[in-house]
Amino acid sequence: MKGLFKNNLFVVYPNAKVFAIVMLFFGVFTAVVISPSLLIGYVLLGMTGFSANALAGLGKEYASRWSRYKLTTPVKRSDIVKSYYISQILWLLVGTGFAGAAIAFSTALHGFPFDKTTDPFMLFVVGAGISLFMSALFFPLFYLGGEERSEVLLIVSLLGGVGIVMGLSSLFNTVFPHMNVPQLILCGTSILACALLSFLFSCPLAVAVFKRKGF
Amino acid sequence: MEHILELQQVTKAFPKSDFTLDRVSFSLPYGSILGFVGENGAGKTTTIGCVLNTINKDSGTVRLFGKEMSDADTAMREKIGVVYDGDNFPPYWTARQLSQVMAGLYANWDHALFQKYLEDFRLPEKQKIRHYSRGMTMKLAIAAALSHHPQLLILDEATSGLDPVMRDEMLDLFLAFVQEEDHSILLSSHITSDLEKVADYIAFIHNGKLLTTVSKNDLSYRWAVMRCRESQFSALDPADILAYRKRDFQIDVLLPDGREALRKYRDAVVDHASIDEIMLLLVKGERI
Repeated sequence: MKGLFKNNLFVVYPNAKVFAIVMLFFGVFTAVVISPSLLIGYVLLGMTGFSANALAGLGKEYASRWSRYKLTTPVKRSDIVKSYYISQILWLLVGTGFAGAAIAFSTALHGFPFDKTTDPFMLFVVGAGISLFMSALFFPLFYLGGEERSEVLLIVSLLGGVGIVMGLSSLFNTVFPHMNVPQLILCGTSILACALLSFLFSCPLAVAVFKRKGF
Repeated sequence: MEHILELQQVTKAFPKSDFTLDRVSFSLPYGSILGFVGENGAGKTTTIGCVLNTINKDSGTVRLFGKEMSDADTAMREKIGVVYDGDNFPPYWTARQLSQVMAGLYANWDHALFQKYLEDFRLPEKQKIRHYSRGMTMKLAIAAALSHHPQLLILDEATSGLDPVMRDEMLDLFLAFVQEEDHSILLSSHITSDLEKVADYIAFIHNGKLLTTVSKNDLSYRWAVMRCRESQFSALDPADILAYRKRDFQIDVLLPDGREALRKYRDAVVDHASIDEIMLLLVKGERI
């Protein structure tokens, strides 16, 4: 698995480096300027951007014969897929780190930037939810649809992730029209749990599709 | 004789492209090199895919080191080195990054040996692979395949991008590799002169079917091509004809035993058969 993680890092690293530098400057700008909407945009971009970049790297990897070569090395197909899922979690944590740092920096400069204390939690739920649902959709679709469609599958997965999170939010808003804080936390936790479960169930599905694939 | 690799009745159909790898059987003994020859699209890479499990075969058995290899047999894949034609590795990596990944994949990865190959092949370690020439990428792939001390090398058109001097050096490297009696090489190539130099056995494949497997000794000292006229051809014993091809003024006949044919047909003109000529006769010629 160690080699697979290094592989995943080297595939994503060139683009992640550029994205991290842009996010760093954008983060400083966002923290200095007093604009909650800009900060919300930054948090969501950070939490989904690093994950989306990692998924885009997968298509890049499959452009060479390396994807086939890797199958001839001493690794199981299931381990290859698992390594991608674990890498996605790590990239989500990196994105969360950037988002958290921007919120913390903004708070240090101007005080708490949101209306309610639950807002950062809900932002985290939305960002992590989109990222996890997007990844859960992308991997099985990628192995099913083929590497030549990776760009469109990434867009479909991203839109799917946004759609599912919005759908679940609408559902909870209908169930609890006037949410109090405990209900808000319950709904947020439920969305996060759904996202995590779909991410976990997506892994064996992607493994099953990948095992049937020939290269 | 023990075999490092044995294929029996391996079949794989691709309905969309109407191509079928049809009951391919051959075996590779320990300590030898088997050349795998066939035109483009004949099924060489598909066969190699079935051997390495990158393609799921429909039926048949592939035995490596005496047993069938499943996806979970990672220890078996430690003993196999692979080189594909073209871009084996992501072009945005450097040789150093490749070594780091390989060290995490192979328990026996020998970084010092890899470094030695990089120096011998004059491959810059810090340069991105995309800036390598085609020959350099092939040399890098060969270096990577050898640097985890494999027992079996599977080379799919591995010498195709190399100039004659470097090709010769690589062939010497392959010959040195099989000096260890438990080492073997499956070498698929279009460059039949390479196979003539190093292969102990040649397997001919055409249109998904294995035409024949022959030892190079038989091929060099027994197989021959008779040049004859129509009247001489009709006098030949059909049992002596492997394949024949009508040309403008003569008929070329592939014979399993040239010396025997010279004894049997005294006026005949019998020449040594090159692998190229044998392949042409087997592929384009007719059978009786």
